[in-house]
Amino acid sequence: MDRVSFVAKLDDAVQFGLDWLYTNGAWFFDAIDDGLGEVYSGIEWMLLSPPYWVMVVLFGLLGWKTVGVTFALLAGAGLLGCAVMGLWDETMSTLALVLSSVVIALIIAIPIGIVAGLKAGVNRYVQVAVDVIQTIPPYIYLLPGVALIGYGPATAMTATIIVAISPALRLTALGIQLTPLELVELGRANGASSMQMLFKIRLPLARPSIMTGINQSLMVSVGMVVIAGIVGAEGLGFVIYEAIRTLDIGKAIDGGISIVIVTMVLDRISQGLGAEGAMAAQ
Amino acid sequence: MTIENSFSPGQAIAPVFRWLNINFHAAFEAFSDAINAALVLVETPLISGPPIIVITILSVAACLLTSWRTAVLVAVGFTTCFLAGLWKETMETTALVAVAVLVALAIGIPLGILASRQRRIELGLRPILDVMQTLPPWVYLVPAVILFGLGRVPAVIATVIYGTPPILRITTLAIKGVPRDRIELGRAFGASDRMILWKIELPSALPTILVGINQCIILSLAMVVLAGLVGAGGLGAEVTRGLTRMEMGLGLRAGLAVVILALILDRFSRATLTARRTRPLTGIANALRGRRKNK
Repeated sequence: MDRVSFVAKLDDAVQFGLDWLYTNGAWFFDAIDDGLGEVYSGIEWMLLSPPYWVMVVLFGLLGWKTVGVTFALLAGAGLLGCAVMGLWDETMSTLALVLSSVVIALIIAIPIGIVAGLKAGVNRYVQVAVDVIQTIPPYIYLLPGVALIGYGPATAMTATIIVAISPALRLTALGIQLTPLELVELGRANGASSMQMLFKIRLPLARPSIMTGINQSLMVSVGMVVIAGIVGAEGLGFVIYEAIRTLDIGKAIDGGISIVIVTMVLDRISQGLGAEGAMAAQ
Repeated sequence: MTIENSFSPGQAIAPVFRWLNINFHAAFEAFSDAINAALVLVETPLISGPPIIVITILSVAACLLTSWRTAVLVAVGFTTCFLAGLWKETMETTALVAVAVLVALAIGIPLGILASRQRRIELGLRPILDVMQTLPPWVYLVPAVILFGLGRVPAVIATVIYGTPPILRITTLAIKGVPRDRIELGRAFGASDRMILWKIELPSALPTILVGINQCIILSLAMVVLAGLVGAGGLGAEVTRGLTRMEMGLGLRAGLAVVILALILDRFSRATLTARRTRPLTGIANALRGRRKNK
């Protein structure tokens, strides 16, 4: 009996604290909401304003450039399939959410990753933080967003950014750390400044590792964005969530197929970009 | 050019699922019953026992198997879950993870060993595993829910599918990485294939396999929590309630419990790993010895 009232009091206190935080920090949370919302709607607009067949051709071309002809045809056919299933808008919304979150995550992750790669002291803390972030189930990251920002794409993005930062950060730090010592020595012998050393030697050599990190960030982002359908982020996740709630089996399967297509296209294209980068680096 | 919205493969496939549901109802039912029985078996002692005793037993087990640090984490963590009023939910989630992980290991480890023996099996499995590890977890819930309805059974099935690939991969890797000379040595002494597997390969591969088990546990917890969306109960259901009904107090409490459970499971499985690595004898053997000495 004591415990029940204790828990109720706790909930009230949490609610009170959140209310206070929200009234006093409204400008801050609204700014996050607006800022993220702007990024998202900008990218969504770019993806959605051309007719779907233009986008299909563009993705086909991108696939052809990065991977190859067979993949280009498959990717084109797959995305066309999304349109055929009547899920084109949702597919593009999902893609827009993924791309905008990953771009923001990379802007945060890569500089921190570079610092962590150069300074072992920083790296230790970063590794612990990343370990904890990756241990916690991604679903949980929706909670603070819902509490402080409310339903909508911005909440989906905050959660996605959190999960997308860790792989990119980890692999950037790893790539920078693993620069062969003789090349660093070579740079030093030639009198390279530390900036030159970073941009001309360490970063180009770390590129394959960073690209792998970006690929992994994209994959965990798709996973998160789809889950975020539950907090009112439009897109394929929302389609499946609604379909499961209303037991519309057909729709749920269509949504699932579209997600598989988007995942595969993003995976192969980002891997292709990585392979190209590796070749360019050599 | 309006081919948009002209064809839905889902509508075409749905009847197949319906047909499966009608004609193989007994099989699905038996399968559900088996999983439910396993869940109840794990869950009942955890839930029906007084929380204080369960926490004590779990902490003592953690202390014997790993270290006192983990034991403190287990004790403090589970006590927090209890005080947060989420004891039953925490134990339900623990049971779901335990059952799913055991099934995933029972499938993943033998298949992994097989794949390390037969190159053809490995090559055949690779693309399937690649696809399975790329797909977002949501996707696995859809067919599971369609076939088994809402509840805990689809949650376990989706979790097993999600958790098997990493353990399978790592087992194959670990067995392949066993130094050749150890196996040669076994052969030289005339050990049978079975003896080589059990006495040489598996023990040498164990540290790597334990890394895989740790990953499997973390992924399973993520999936089990997500499965709160499809009525799997436990902490996931509370998080979902918090998210969808804006009951933030409940949501954050449940979220905290999930974080605690994740840290406990991670620490626990990792600590077993280091206990094994630093000492030549396994943690379990040490624990047994310690207990005997106490007697």
